[in-house]
Amino acid sequence: MIHFERFKLDNGLTVLFHKDVTTPLAVVNTLYDVGARDESEEKTGFAHLFEHLMFGGSVNIPDFDAPLQMAGGESNAFTSNDITNYYNILPAKNLETALWLESDRMLSLGFTTKSLEVQRNVVIEEFKQRYLNQPYGDVWLKLRPLAYHVHPYKWATIGKVIKHIEDAKMEDVKAFFHKHYNPANAILCIAGNFEFENIKTIVTKWYGDIPGGIKPARILPAEPEQEELREEIIERNVPTDAFYYAFKMSERRNEMYYMADVLSDALGRDKSSRLYISLKKEQKLASEIGAYITGSLDNGLLVISGKLNDGVSFETFDKALWKELKKLEEHPISDKELARLMIKMHTSKEFQDQGLLNRAMNLCQFELLGDANGINEEHEIYKAIKPSHIQETAIHILKPTNCSILKVKATQNAE
Amino acid sequence: MLNRTISPEVKQIDKIDFVKPQIFDISKDVKLFFMKEVPNETARLDLYFDAGTINGDTGIASFVNGMLLSGTDEKTSTQINNEIDELGGFFESGVSNENAVVTMYSLRENVLPILKVMTNAIQNLVFHQHEVEELVNDRRQKFKTSMEKVSFLAQRAFQQRLFSESIYGRVTNESDFDTISTDSLKHFFKKNYLNGLTKVVVVGDLTQDEIDEIIDLIGSWASNTTTEFEKNIKNLKGYSHLVKDGAVQTAIRVGRMLFNKTHEDYNDFLILNTIFGDYFGSRLMSNIREDKGYTYGIGTMVAELHNVGYFIIATEVGKDVKDATMLEIQHEITRLQTELVGDDELNLVKNYLMGQLLKSADGPYSMTDLYMSVEPYGLDLDFYNTSIDSLNNITPERIQELAIKYLNWNDMTVVSAG
Repeated sequence: MIHFERFKLDNGLTVLFHKDVTTPLAVVNTLYDVGARDESEEKTGFAHLFEHLMFGGSVNIPDFDAPLQMAGGESNAFTSNDITNYYNILPAKNLETALWLESDRMLSLGFTTKSLEVQRNVVIEEFKQRYLNQPYGDVWLKLRPLAYHVHPYKWATIGKVIKHIEDAKMEDVKAFFHKHYNPANAILCIAGNFEFENIKTIVTKWYGDIPGGIKPARILPAEPEQEELREEIIERNVPTDAFYYAFKMSERRNEMYYMADVLSDALGRDKSSRLYISLKKEQKLASEIGAYITGSLDNGLLVISGKLNDGVSFETFDKALWKELKKLEEHPISDKELARLMIKMHTSKEFQDQGLLNRAMNLCQFELLGDANGINEEHEIYKAIKPSHIQETAIHILKPTNCSILKVKATQNAE
Repeated sequence: MLNRTISPEVKQIDKIDFVKPQIFDISKDVKLFFMKEVPNETARLDLYFDAGTINGDTGIASFVNGMLLSGTDEKTSTQINNEIDELGGFFESGVSNENAVVTMYSLRENVLPILKVMTNAIQNLVFHQHEVEELVNDRRQKFKTSMEKVSFLAQRAFQQRLFSESIYGRVTNESDFDTISTDSLKHFFKKNYLNGLTKVVVVGDLTQDEIDEIIDLIGSWASNTTTEFEKNIKNLKGYSHLVKDGAVQTAIRVGRMLFNKTHEDYNDFLILNTIFGDYFGSRLMSNIREDKGYTYGIGTMVAELHNVGYFIIATEVGKDVKDATMLEIQHEITRLQTELVGDDELNLVKNYLMGQLLKSADGPYSMTDLYMSVEPYGLDLDFYNTSIDSLNNITPERIQELAIKYLNWNDMTVVSAG
């Protein structure tokens, strides 16, 4: 059980407090309800570029990191298609330093030209390092637009093309800040050995005078029901053929989400999963194979991916894979198999929950879903899942007309 | 009215509590380290074996490590993995130069049941031919993929030139995958695993009976030999470049042989290392990323081996700014050698490092790892009090002295790939 308290400031900021008496550290985690899905199609990669700019100095403080380091702390952030999350870890006795810094950049940024110029270059190098200069690095840049035709999940957080980042203007940056970075669009979580009343006082002190804003309405185009099998083959200078089967699945706030999560574990979480045993160990078609879900807030993807063994054709693999998927539709999984998936999930949850930062981040994410207490309820939702649910989910999701396949063909294997 | 331009008062960390694990003898030389103070249901068990890459021909150590759960006469690899998964266990194994570590994560109530499955699988491992072939194929594919990455190519070439003549300088080649024999795997396994256990680490709220049972289960693997590690290793100085067609970034590695925790300059050098390249506000990050935008990241570290250590600078930069980056790295070295570090910067780094140490000592898992990183050198947790002393007494002059002594560009092995 993860305990927490909650209060809201007049300007709309939601604050969570999680007490942990065992640690000398504090975590300050801020989730902004903005991600790559909130970008316009002509200016992609912006939420992520903006995350970089948040470290370039705020309205009253020229440098974010140095004062935090001076207080013995460190900081980082990440951007996904759904959210942008910033965190600080520091000695508990210096908590106020983090609140001073975080509240000032919520108030307003420095917006220096130098910061924008440099971070544009840094992000372009990040684009190259992670997406262009790695074997299979550009797979998600191809797979997203194949699976999504309308919804903004069709581009990656890094952006569609480098040019969008190169073209980012200061006026765009300012507009983005004013729209998305205000207290009403943020959730703050403080974790550590503190008293709730003190937390209320110092949070009000640092955040109370930030002007309230309007939580921007999010109206995104809904992805229409997929009605055909989609397939794309790309040829790359890689040593091995690789495959990616992406199936549409439900949005996060739906019990089908949890069922699809368990289904993906049954398919390919570990070495006792179905696809690993059948396609790798028994039929020796794949050298690597796994399955997972993207975990998106809007309709997500269940992905089966891996690499072919040398000499195995995509066609042979494809037939064997569909045959294996069919079994899940025809027969419910056994209680024993389900119990195995559940205990693995339980072990990982226990390990995740022991990190202070993890607890703070997850509390914010559940609060975004509607209630931070979701962190304590999830286990019960998983426990209520029955073999028949997995079967129904398989029937619903694992069909060709719901699937987008990306094949990466090694140039040497191409004809 | 709140003054937002002034930082709240920064309070100093006055003390860090270091907690030592309990120590039990498995044999004369092999010990079990036990951290019992875990406030939740999780547990971790690590087995260390004298089975690092330097213990055998190229490739052998890594292959044997990958085969540990590959099957016995009674059970297939799938059955073994299934049994561990049914107990909610996670199994990991890995190899470094000097040892191999097998780790399992689980709920504490399942530690012994999983360990029983694992010890049975390892004790009776048979190296089925089809499992050997499968692993060789998988590893060959992974190796080919790695060889497409400039970071891997640069790291590999750096390792060859840094350790030059030494056994640490050997690297895997594709031809190694063709010459692996099952006999050589079996031989290595028997010598370095079944008679090669060097230490055990348990973190989790287990009972004394459970600890005794763990010792019973793995006690027969205790090693009774001591490996001699090389002492005098000299890096090949100077620059070399590897061409990788089509790369849009160039990977750079710069470094030299150095020392480990047992050396008198170690603690002070770590402060210099931090200023130079080991935190977000470091000289290299401030210049090469935050001022020039040449890279997504650049960092330095001191890596340690049993008798020696080495210093390394690593980055990936845009292909057109490789030379400019090299010049900026040299420029930053010259600044450290010719200008005294300012008080503000030095204070910041001291406070930052104290915060990092506090974090490294937070919670039973971190605390155990902190202890295990001094234990191989015959040191105790008191080492970290000497680190704190070093932070309290460091001067700008001392930083400069160390930069002059250890950071000469002409002493460096310099490698790029792109």
